[in-house]
Amino acid sequence: MEEKEFTVSEFIDFLNSILTPRRVVVVGEIGERVNEYPNYLYFKLLDLKEKAMLDCFIWRRDLEKSGIDLKPGTKIKILGFPKIYKPNGGFNFQVEQISFIGEGVLKKAFEALKKKLEAGGFFALERKKSIPLFCKRIGLITSKIGKGALPDFEKNLGDHGFQVYLYDVRVEGLFAIDAISEAIQWFNKNMINLDVIVLIRGGGDWESLQSFNSEKVAKAIFASNIPIICGVGHEKDITIADYVSDLRVSTPTQAAKFLSKNWENAAINIHKYEKGFSVFITNLFKNVWDRLNFFAKDFNTKIKNLLLEKKSETEELSEDFNKSKDFWQKRVRDILKQQEEKLNLSNPVLKLKQGYTMTLDKNGQIIKDLDGVKFGDLIQTKYYKGHILSQVKENKKE
Amino acid sequence: MAEKFNFTKAYQKIEEINEWFQGEDIDLNEALSKYKEGMDLIGKCKKELEAAKNHFEEIKNQYKSEELSEEEK
Repeated sequence: MEEKEFTVSEFIDFLNSILTPRRVVVVGEIGERVNEYPNYLYFKLLDLKEKAMLDCFIWRRDLEKSGIDLKPGTKIKILGFPKIYKPNGGFNFQVEQISFIGEGVLKKAFEALKKKLEAGGFFALERKKSIPLFCKRIGLITSKIGKGALPDFEKNLGDHGFQVYLYDVRVEGLFAIDAISEAIQWFNKNMINLDVIVLIRGGGDWESLQSFNSEKVAKAIFASNIPIICGVGHEKDITIADYVSDLRVSTPTQAAKFLSKNWENAAINIHKYEKGFSVFITNLFKNVWDRLNFFAKDFNTKIKNLLLEKKSETEELSEDFNKSKDFWQKRVRDILKQQEEKLNLSNPVLKLKQGYTMTLDKNGQIIKDLDGVKFGDLIQTKYYKGHILSQVKENKKE
Repeated sequence: MAEKFNFTKAYQKIEEINEWFQGEDIDLNEALSKYKEGMDLIGKCKKELEAAKNHFEEIKNQYKSEELSEEEK
């Protein structure tokens, strides 16, 4: 069998290829000295009971994400992997995430992170996205095997044709931090047309909610373009994730109810509107019809009144006319009488009575000059009573 | 292609019409056309509200996702 020969470097690489893919969580207490460098820190994690010690290395950026100060004697939980450092062959544990153990310390860390994020505008209401009124496509981030959250959510969602895309994650422990952050990023990258992301888990003690109190998850929620509803645990547990999310509900059940509520209301309201619209339009036309009828009646009355008015005016006029008729008749009669008198005055009979005569030619025409009268013509002279027939002996003009 | 029916927009429009109906000085022609539009939208919304079965799909789980990302490479 051929013996495999390594160089030192190759061997350490070989060992690291076995060691580094393993991610584990280790619990212990921070040793007395913490060596700080600009980009990284070294510290020792102690197991005082069993007298054991682990050399730890952490990048400063990872430490900052955890929001924790490395103070000697503090009990912590670290997530990371073992690694051999090539230049000196030293073994250490490369820490990726840190969290405190013990409620008191956790609360302190929580308050510190909350303050920091608040100052950074992470909780500002004006940057929160509004949840669409009617969500259909839901990105669900929770644990498939969890006892409470998923069944509660499904049970209370109601059948409104939701499309739920479940991204199964761990929701407890240090591993959950990456998993939840990745899930949020995955939806934002691959399913941008989601209406909403729902991040839920059942209640637990403060320690088990650590992933929801991490800066990494807070930043992932903050960076999401899809609005996020966060429903973690019980009523009293408000996590950092709750503060950053666009909407905080108290439990997974409430998250489901929130989403279905608007659909339920819409179903009720649509029926109301349908009925209301029909009533409205019927009433509107009835109203218009009534008004038209009223106007028609009113119009009739008005016309009648107008006619009556005109009639009385006409009557007045005709009365006036009747009155003036007599006057005119009299006037006409007077004029006629005057004329008659004038005529009477010029009546030839009257003249004859006074002794005048009138001579007519053979044609019965009154002779006014002698042009038409010839010698021997028969002429007739009229008197008041009787006439004389004569023959012209002489025609002598003067 | 006809634009996809947008429930939210339709519902808001219905609410708008409802509000308009509450107003004064209603123009008859406008009322009639708004009524028609409203009833049409109501019909579509009702259809949307009837199609109700939820659809659950597991797109990722923590174990599978590692395999998937291997495949994707």
